[in-house]
Amino acid sequence: MTTTVDRPRVAPALASLAERAPKRPVSPERIAAGLTLVALVAVSIAALGEVDISIPDMIASWGNAERFFVRVGALSFPEPAELAWLVALTLGLVLTGTLLAAVLSVPIAYLAASNTTPGNGWRAAARFAGVLARSLPDVVLAMVFVLMFSLGALPGILAIGIHSIGMISKMFADAIEQIDEGPRLAIRAAGGSRTQEFFSGILPQVLPSWVATVLHRNDINLRGSVVLGYVGVAGLGLEMSYAFKSLNYGLGLGIALVIFVLCVVMEIVSSVVRAWMLGRAGDRRTWADRLIGRRVTRKGLVDAAASGIPSAGASWAQSPRSALRRPWTAERARNVVAGWVAVAVVVAGVWVCQINWGDFLTFWAKLPAVAVQFWPPTFGVYGPEVMFEALRETVAIALAATLLALVPSLLLGSFAARNVASGAGVRGTARFALVGIRGIPEIILAIVLIVITGLGMQAGTIALAVGGVGLLGKLIADSFEEVDRGPERALFATGATRLQVYAGATLPQGGRALIGHSFYLLDTNIRAATILGVVGGGGVGYYLLNASQGANYGMVTAIVLMILVTVLIVEGIAMWMRKVFR
Amino acid sequence: MNTTAPETVVRLDGVTKRFGATTALDDVTLTVDRGEIVVLLGLSGSGKSTLLRHLDGLELPTSGSVEVLGEAVPALSGRRLRGLRSRVGFIFQQFELVPSLTVLENVLTGSLASVRGPRLGLWSYAKARRLAALGHLDRVGLLDRAYQRADTLSGGQQQRVAIARALMQNPSVLLADEPVASLDPESSDQVMALIREIAADEGLTVICSLHQVDLAISWADRIVGLRHGGVVLDLPTQDLTKTQVMEIYGRVATTTAELRAVQDELLVADAEPAR
Repeated sequence: MTTTVDRPRVAPALASLAERAPKRPVSPERIAAGLTLVALVAVSIAALGEVDISIPDMIASWGNAERFFVRVGALSFPEPAELAWLVALTLGLVLTGTLLAAVLSVPIAYLAASNTTPGNGWRAAARFAGVLARSLPDVVLAMVFVLMFSLGALPGILAIGIHSIGMISKMFADAIEQIDEGPRLAIRAAGGSRTQEFFSGILPQVLPSWVATVLHRNDINLRGSVVLGYVGVAGLGLEMSYAFKSLNYGLGLGIALVIFVLCVVMEIVSSVVRAWMLGRAGDRRTWADRLIGRRVTRKGLVDAAASGIPSAGASWAQSPRSALRRPWTAERARNVVAGWVAVAVVVAGVWVCQINWGDFLTFWAKLPAVAVQFWPPTFGVYGPEVMFEALRETVAIALAATLLALVPSLLLGSFAARNVASGAGVRGTARFALVGIRGIPEIILAIVLIVITGLGMQAGTIALAVGGVGLLGKLIADSFEEVDRGPERALFATGATRLQVYAGATLPQGGRALIGHSFYLLDTNIRAATILGVVGGGGVGYYLLNASQGANYGMVTAIVLMILVTVLIVEGIAMWMRKVFR
Repeated sequence: MNTTAPETVVRLDGVTKRFGATTALDDVTLTVDRGEIVVLLGLSGSGKSTLLRHLDGLELPTSGSVEVLGEAVPALSGRRLRGLRSRVGFIFQQFELVPSLTVLENVLTGSLASVRGPRLGLWSYAKARRLAALGHLDRVGLLDRAYQRADTLSGGQQQRVAIARALMQNPSVLLADEPVASLDPESSDQVMALIREIAADEGLTVICSLHQVDLAISWADRIVGLRHGGVVLDLPTQDLTKTQVMEIYGRVATTTAELRAVQDELLVADAEPAR
C-alpha cells in the first residue's frame, strides 16, 4: 500500500545516513483517506459475510435451477411482428431519452467546464445539477413520471433523459476542458462573439468525443431500460415483467435473451461507430475515450487524410469559382451517407415512441395535485427501523459486489493489457471475455438469477459483481496500457522476470488509477443496488416499488431522499479518494 | 470606420502590464504609422507577445493607454471590441486552426465578426463569402486543399491558411506573433515573403514579433527591440551601419556572456575606420 513508510535498507554503520535522510512527509489528509479506505475494506468484508455467499448454498440453488428449467420447458418468444415492434420501441425510447439528455447536457456542460463557465457560482451550480441528476436513479424518476403522464414511452424517455444528464454533462464538460484553446482564441481575435467561439472553435473539437459519449450512454441506457418496464414503461422490459408475473417463465426468459442479444449487438454497432468517429478525430484521448473504447489508431487518421487529398492540379481547383462546388471524394460520400443515416435513425427513434405531445399540456395541470401527494415524506406503516435496515442492506450489497469484483477484475484486466499479457492470444481472450461480460445487462442477470435460484440478496450481489468485472477489468486494462513504458524497459534490462516487472513497474504506475476506478465502481453499484430491490434483489428498492404501486407517495419521497443522501455521501467519499490518491 | 483614418495606426503610451509579481510590459511608448512593416525583436519573455495581445484587446494594460485605429482599446467591449478585432488580423505561432474543420471553413471563420449568430458547416456561409474565402486560399496558393481537414496540412501550409483566414477579415492592421517559429527554414521564408507581399498589395500595417535578428533586419522596415518588457531600441532598417547591427544584437541579447562577446565586437568595430 502506498501509505507504508519505506524501510531504509542500510547497514548499522550507515545509520547516520538514515538519520540525515529526509523523512517522507505524510499529510494528515492522506492518513485520513488511508484510514477511510481501510475502514471501507473492513466494512465490505463484513458486508460480504452478511450477504452470505456460500458455495454450498449456491450449489444447492443450482439444484433449484435444474428443477426450474424442467418446469419452464422451452423458451418462447412473442409473435415476430410484435417482437419487432417491441424491439423498435425499446430502441427508439432509449435513443430518444439519451438524445434528450444530450441536448439538455450541452448548456450544463458549458457552464460546468472551467474554460467556458461565466463564473464559479455557475460552475458549482451546473456541477451540482449534474450530480443530482446522476443520483436520482432512472427507475425512481420513471415511477414518478408514470404517475404524472399516461403510461407509454414518455415517462421512460423523461426518466432516461434526466438521469443521463449526470454522466453526459460531466463527460461533455471534461471534453470541453481538454480542447486546444488556440483555435478558440484565434476566433476571438478575429472578432467572433462568445456564441461563435463555441460553435466554430469548441464544438468541432469536442463533437467526436461527444458523439462517443452519447453512444456509450445509449448502451448503458439500453441495458437499464429493462427495469423501467418493471415500473410500467412500455417496451421489452414491460412484457418481460408481465411474463414473469404471470409465471410464464419460458416467455420471460425468451425476452431476456432477446434483450441480451440486443445489448451485445448495440455494443458492437456503437463501438464501430465510435472507432470511426474518434479515428477521424486523431488520437487525442480523454479518460472518457478510455472508458469508451480503444480502437483509436493512427491508421484511421492517415486513411482519412489520404482519402481527402485530391490529385494535384485537380480540375475543380482551377479557379475560386470552379472550386465553389465541393468535389466528391470517398470520405465526403461516406460522411454524407453516415450523416443521413444518423438523421434517419433519430427520426425513426422519435417516431416509434409515438409520444403523446398533448401530455405536456395536461402535465402542468396535473402537476400541483400530484406534487401535493408527495409531501410530507413518511415511512408509513414500516417505520424508520425497517427502512434503514433495508437501506443498510442495499449498501451492503454494493460494497460486497465491489469487493467481489476487485480480484477477478485485477486478474482479467492485467491479462487484457498489452504490456502485461504474455502474448496476443492471452490478451485477446481476456479482452473478449471482458466485452462479453460487459454485454450482459446486470439487471437481466439479476432477474434471471433471482428467478432461477430463488435467492434475493445473494443473486443481486453476484449479478452486480459480474457486471463490475466487465467495467473494472476494462478500466484496469486500459490504465495499465497507458503507463509509462520506460520503467518497464528499464526493469527488463536489469534482467527482471515478467512478474517482477509487473510488480515493480506496471502495478505501481497503474495502481493509483485502480483506487479511483474502484470507487467509480462502488458509485455505480450503489445506484444499481437501489434498483435491484425493484426486481426482487433485496434492499430498499423493494419498498420503493411497493410504495409507488400502493400509491404511498409520501413514502416514495422518503425513500428517494434516503437514496439521494446515500448516493451523495458515497459520491463525496469517492471524489475525495480520487483527489487524494491521484 | 472612415477611410481617411489617422496616419498613426497604433499608439501606446506608458503601457505597463503586470501578471502578479512579474512585469511583462514596462512603460512602453510606441507609435506605428499606416503602412509600416515593424518587427518587435526580442527573446522569449521579453514581452513581444503580450504587447501584440494588447493591440487586439486580448489583454488589458495595468496602466497606460492603448490606441489602435483611433480607438482606445481598453475602453472597448462587446460589439465595438469585436468590431475593432475584425479590422485587426492576428497570426499565431501555432497557427491555431480548428483541426477537424476543412481548410475552407477555417478561412471562413475569419469573417465571423461580420455575420450574426453562430455558424457551423460550410453551407451556413453565404455563397459570396465562400467565393471570397476560396479567393484568399488561391492567393496563398492552397486552393486545391480547400476541402481537406486542416490537420492534414503541413505546418507551413497551415500558417498560409491562417494568413488567408486573417485576410478574410479585410484587416487594416496585421499582427503576427512569431509566425515562423514553428516552421522549417524553407516554409518560413515562404510565409514571411507572403506576408510582405500581401502587406504591400493591401497597404496593410504589419507588426510582427520575431526572435531572429538576421531575419528581422532583412525583412522589416523598422525594428523595435524589447527587453524585460521595455523598449530598448527603435531603428529603421534602411542603411543600417555595422555598429547599429551590432547594437541590435547587443541590446536584445540576454546572457552576460553573449553581451560581452557583442561588446568586444563593438570595440573592434569602433576601432576600424569609419566606412
